Amino acid sequence: MTIRVYALSTCPYCRMARKYLDDNDVEYDVVEVDLLDGDERAAAIAEVKDISGGTSFPVMLFDDEIVVGFNKKRMMELLSL
Amino acid sequence: MSADHARPRRRLFAEGTTIEDLKTYMAPFAATLGYKLNTESEFVDEVLASELEILADTGDVYCPCRVRTGDPKEDAMIVCPCIPFHMVQFAAIRKCWCGLFIRYDVEDGGELLGVIDEPELGAQVEVPVCRVNDLAPGQTKHVKAGKTDYALARVGDEFYAISNVCVHAFGPLADGVLEGHELACPWHGWRYDVRDGTTNHPDADVAAYPVTVRHGYLWLTCAL
Ligand code: SF4
Ligand code: FES
Repeated sequence: MTIRVYALSTCPYCRMARKYLDDNDVEYDVVEVDLLDGDERAAAIAEVKDISGGTSFPVMLFDDEIVVGFNKKRMMELLSL
Repeated sequence: MSADHARPRRRLFAEGTTIEDLKTYMAPFAATLGYKLNTESEFVDEVLASELEILADTGDVYCPCRVRTGDPKEDAMIVCPCIPFHMVQFAAIRKCWCGLFIRYDVEDGGELLGVIDEPELGAQVEVPVCRVNDLAPGQTKHVKAGKTDYALARVGDEFYAISNVCVHAFGPLADGVLEGHELACPWHGWRYDVRDGTTNHPDADVAAYPVTVRHGYLWLTCAL
């Protein structure tokens, strides 16, 4: 499964979500959107809007499944934990 | 034109603003909308510490859990507390997106940390929209919840809500004059009964919405 996390460095739920993945030894890519500049930042924001319909974080992709927010229950289901 | 007449400049927060300063200004404002600081005080401090970092970086207390897009209109909707812009969604999840604020009727904010059980789109959600004490008898007030603009009205101790948008030419009804149960549109004076939204102009009634009063707040039922 390919997992990608769009996160903000300032967001407590992003930290919780990443900690949860780390604690369960799940590998994932992370894009820290607020640490990007210029075109890269604009492109990442556009991706987040496209995927989630908003600009609220974290936004996580488990293959094609989208999870917005630190929704542990949904993450457990998708990761079969 | 002299500089005095130039467009007003936004006033941002002063340097040296502290977590306590933020609490002191935010909590009373959130209370007017039916929210209080999360009961998890460490979590509150963590969120506000992030806001102070953002403040140092950008000059305003933007939401730590949302991203600034650079569009001033969009960004104004994520300055903390952003509750007025997300009334229905937050009422549904009983907290603000980050969980810094929880609905006043939630006892243990810890239970809501990270939990996002958002009802289906279109679900009916009860939304606190105004404190009873913030609407005196004979007064009207405009509130927006979701996509709908409401005119709240108080007659004695009865509370009413009708659409804020006059059917004649879209005048803002809450800015009108309330006499008894009749609200006169501020633009051309069409008169609406706040009890049921009816007017004596043919085919021009506005929608009326039930208002519930609970624990000092007025609640409307709105679609998510
Ligand atoms: S979601 Fe909460 S913390 Fe974020 S801006 Fe809104 S009120 Fe503030
Ligand atoms: S807009 Fe209300 S009376 Fe004309």
